[in-house]
Amino acid sequence: MSSIRSANNIASVVGVGNTDWPQDQKAVRAGARPTDAYGYGAIALQRALKDAGIDKSEVDGLITAPYTPVERAAELYGINPRWASVSDAMQSVLTAVMAIEAGLCEVVALVLGFNQRSAGFKYGGTGTLGAASNLSYVYHEPWGLTSQGALYALMYRRYMELHGTTEADLGQVAVAQRQWASGNPNAVMRKTITIDDYLSSIYVAEPLHIFDYCLINDGGVALIIAEKERAKRITDHPVHIRAIGRADMHDQSTTLKPRLLDFYHPGHTLVSKQVYDAVGMGPHDMDAVQIYDSFSPHIPVALEGFGFCEIGEGCRYIAETGIGPGGGMPVNTSGGHLSESYMQGWNHQIEAVRQARGDAATQVPNCRNVQYISDVVGKVFSIIYGVD
Amino acid sequence: MASQPTHFSMFDEPFWESAQAGELRMQCCSACSTYRYPPGACCPNCLSIQAEWKAISGKGKVLSWTTIHRQYLEAYPAPYSVVVVQLDEGPILITHFDNEDVGKLKLDTELTLSYATHPDGYRLPKFVLPEKAA
Repeated sequence: MSSIRSANNIASVVGVGNTDWPQDQKAVRAGARPTDAYGYGAIALQRALKDAGIDKSEVDGLITAPYTPVERAAELYGINPRWASVSDAMQSVLTAVMAIEAGLCEVVALVLGFNQRSAGFKYGGTGTLGAASNLSYVYHEPWGLTSQGALYALMYRRYMELHGTTEADLGQVAVAQRQWASGNPNAVMRKTITIDDYLSSIYVAEPLHIFDYCLINDGGVALIIAEKERAKRITDHPVHIRAIGRADMHDQSTTLKPRLLDFYHPGHTLVSKQVYDAVGMGPHDMDAVQIYDSFSPHIPVALEGFGFCEIGEGCRYIAETGIGPGGGMPVNTSGGHLSESYMQGWNHQIEAVRQARGDAATQVPNCRNVQYISDVVGKVFSIIYGVD
Repeated sequence: MASQPTHFSMFDEPFWESAQAGELRMQCCSACSTYRYPPGACCPNCLSIQAEWKAISGKGKVLSWTTIHRQYLEAYPAPYSVVVVQLDEGPILITHFDNEDVGKLKLDTELTLSYATHPDGYRLPKFVLPEKAA
């Protein structure tokens, strides 16, 4: 048995920032290009630094997303870090904590700049994004299977057949997240929908409807993460990164075995043990949960995998407990990727931070511990954010 | 050599050659008999780079399916369907599937491998209901 140590209580988030997603989406749809990926990152970084109340001269570590290679980003942002890296949202948080723990830096800026809409990125067909790291996105093209949504349609079809759930059971996710988004001025899609709206909407890949799919929009997100003692000197409202866990499942991933046969549950089990043991709590001690939702089937499958309910009971748990505003377990409280903005896990991090420190657009009452969960491209991640 | 789709590694060609011949073969480890699909450089079980191409039975059971209502590719006007099958030999193989038979699918429905011609001119394996197999 391998180690289940996780990266605990090393650093805290001292500032967060993001771009104006609805305004930029409107501009891009009208044919404008407000800026490029670096520019979106710059806006978010500027706001995160302001939120933290520090100058960028205090930043000695820099992490960017793959859309803005860190060397050019550092040049443009005028930062000469002691340590730098490139990675996705979840790995960025883990990497920042590791670099701080190793003593390589103390204040790390994490910056996503993403111009997927204005640059015409594709998630289906020839030239789909992410093909280099995930062969499943392109390998089955001779047979017509290229869209990432279709992979989740295949997963939820199997889930329905195994557990006797329906399209309406899944539709609860899109309905609840749109309810959250309706209270968030920075959500791209704010008009509430009913289950009937959901069921009468078009299919993209059966059984998934258009509302099960994430948005495609431009934008940026930034976080400032500092060593725990330094964080206390920077701000009176640090949000601690209490635990991080990761477990990968790549066996036969091109032919979708981890998703279709395992639903990523073995990874969920390992990571839930890592993070819950680290904080001495369980799923029901979480005040809110942010779950990576490129497609809505992520939600019931992740909830059951992390022990919020039994395997196969994810949809029933959602119906009985409620995941929308006023529900027993608030999930994706900003509207998530389906309704707020598709920032590939990054907007979930800043929403978790805002909920924990109490200044979210639609604030969950008495919110102290917020869990992030994702299971994409073979990697199960979870992070528990919390306040003293 | 007949046309073939995009190769993702130097190991892809025998798969498409065997489809062209109407007798699908899959790459199998010479050292430990573990199948590799998609084809690749080494065995995920024992790391051996030795492999042979074994003819497969063409029989398998349904894991899932979907009907796609959007056109992403010239060769596949919407709607079209895709089925995921676990071969009796173990590997999972995903192919397109006749729309009119989707209503007959359940988990573990037994399907048989047949062949179809892609508009680009190459033959490709395709799962069908057993009564439709040639």
